[in-house]
Amino acid sequence: MHELKIAEELSAMVSHHASAGGLTVVDRVNISVGQFVQVVPDLLEAAFKIAARDSVASEARLEIEIIAAEMRCRRCGTEYRPGDDIHACTACGSAEIEVVHGKELFIKSIEGD
Amino acid sequence: MKNILDRNQNKAEEVRSLLREKKVMMVNIISSPGAGKTTLLERTCESLADKIRIGVIEGDVATDRDARRLQKYDIPIVCINTEGGCHLDSHSISKVLGHFDLDHIDLLFVENVGNLICPSQFDLGETFKLAVVSTTEGDDKPAKYPMLFTGARAVILNKTDLIPYTNFNAASFETDIVSLNPGITIIKTSATRGEGIDEWLGWIITQLKSFNAS
Repeated sequence: MHELKIAEELSAMVSHHASAGGLTVVDRVNISVGQFVQVVPDLLEAAFKIAARDSVASEARLEIEIIAAEMRCRRCGTEYRPGDDIHACTACGSAEIEVVHGKELFIKSIEGD
Repeated sequence: MKNILDRNQNKAEEVRSLLREKKVMMVNIISSPGAGKTTLLERTCESLADKIRIGVIEGDVATDRDARRLQKYDIPIVCINTEGGCHLDSHSISKVLGHFDLDHIDLLFVENVGNLICPSQFDLGETFKLAVVSTTEGDDKPAKYPMLFTGARAVILNKTDLIPYTNFNAASFETDIVSLNPGITIIKTSATRGEGIDEWLGWIITQLKSFNAS
């Protein structure tokens, strides 16, 4: 249930940026979340509603984009989507890999008036 | 684009730089409930508490039972009761650091709340993360919880004495972990029986030496 803490942090950031940008009402918050962060979107939306209830974003819709995991092989350079439980390179089988996408957790944009 | 956990990250960097200045190596221990974190710490304190100045931050959802188990080693222990919260964050660590005399601690263990997902997302300002997995949980944990295993410096595979009574496949476990994190160290232990504990103690002392030399 790390969704609640993420929602609290998100709500605080949205209020901060809305006020800095001169917004009095926030309609929509667009965020990107990597697959490895293992967020349950419904839970995060519900948690955000609670966290933002007394803020400029109390009526805002939270749009969550899930970014699929992507690996890069350090040996042959192939970029690939890992399987459910196999993360090694799909081209050469090497375990010398790095995570390119999947750990993201950021605000893309905040919309409002 | 703004990282949603910026506040946590900034506080974690503050903690990290304070600990670096005080020459304190902090290890963030993450596992499922019941994997053997506290037993591992008991074995560690038994052997090292008279040689290395150890401190412990105990994160627990409720009670101070884990902290009480470690009291007999006469080391400074601070318990953070999260009252249901599923992980620690850098602000909670920063608040309790004031209870320690950091000039007289070499190695600070943080026993995070038992959970494989949530604690992996929150940098506490640690020197490194240590994952503990027990054989009774199954060999599929690295594949199911990749964030922890890509971020940990080492994994303790605990309760190896119970392998004969389970369908745990050690080879498959190791292949999955290495395919996520090629540089990770895997140490097999039975913390209750003592097997593998010498290897763990040797490894942690080596980490401490290289931390102090860097």
